Amino acid sequence: MIPSDHFTRFYNEVFKFIEQQGERELDDYFLEISKNQENHILHLIREKGFEGMLQYWSVIRDEENCDLDLGYDEDKFEIKMHLCPSLTKAKDNDAERWERYCDHCAGWIGPIMDKTGYHLVYDVIDRDQPQCHMRVYKDEAKAREAEMDVRLLMGWPGRKQS
Amino acid sequence: MSDEETPMRYQEDGNVHMDFHGAVNTTINFIVARYGIEALHEIFRRVGTDVYQDLRRHLNAGDSHELVKHWRHFFTREGADYDISVGDDEIVLTVRRCAAWFHVQKIHGTVSAQFCDQTSIVNTALAEGTPFRIDTIIDGPGACRQVIRRRS
Repeated sequence: MIPSDHFTRFYNEVFKFIEQQGERELDDYFLEISKNQENHILHLIREKGFEGMLQYWSVIRDEENCDLDLGYDEDKFEIKMHLCPSLTKAKDNDAERWERYCDHCAGWIGPIMDKTGYHLVYDVIDRDQPQCHMRVYKDEAKAREAEMDVRLLMGWPGRKQS
Repeated sequence: MSDEETPMRYQEDGNVHMDFHGAVNTTINFIVARYGIEALHEIFRRVGTDVYQDLRRHLNAGDSHELVKHWRHFFTREGADYDISVGDDEIVLTVRRCAAWFHVQKIHGTVSAQFCDQTSIVNTALAEGTPFRIDTIIDGPGACRQVIRRRS
């Protein structure tokens, strides 16, 4: 058994392997993981909207030992990740880190938000720092406006950033 | 500081996110369907040789105790039903109920036929070129024995 504590280091090896197979393959893998994650989050978003997101990511915060703030208002759901355990472990690793490790988060979350009619704005800030800022909007225009003040905007399968 | 108190290279504590095993299962199915079992095994081999370099360093130095410590720490954290017997000739980890396997069964309904390859291939890679070999015997669904022996 690869311990769940070491999943991110296994994930890191998977990313390196799939990247060698091509960018399209990586997108397909993100979509597959996204489909897997639908089992955990899709019903919560469909039934409860932002409150469902809060419920899901509150569990993630606790189970994955994240240092983050999360909440929502009328317009948006928001997570401010202060210390991401996933990237921290991928970096604290005797194997080489995949440089785009952070891309996987928007890679699975983006397609779910597209599917549920929300608009994701994912600022990774810096791929080398275990911090990020995620916002999910009901209104697309507000999401596009929010994209103006990001530092490193992430894309996902179906929505590529230049 | 005694050996038991010396932290391992990867010494995670805090809460456990068991759903990661579901993502492993999904990944296994994806890799096998797209690229075949050999590709999956290559990824697991890299986990064994590259991620677990420190465990391999210990094994290379003739020390199997660090791997036993690793087993104890993580199987306990995951709530597995297991025991470890340390004999003169072999060390046997007996997993009667693998928490990862049963968690995947609970959340996905079915477990990949290659799910336990993560154990057998990583074990083989850990021991490769060291004075030890590690055999993995699957005893049934979510049950196995992992045996460390010195190579003759």
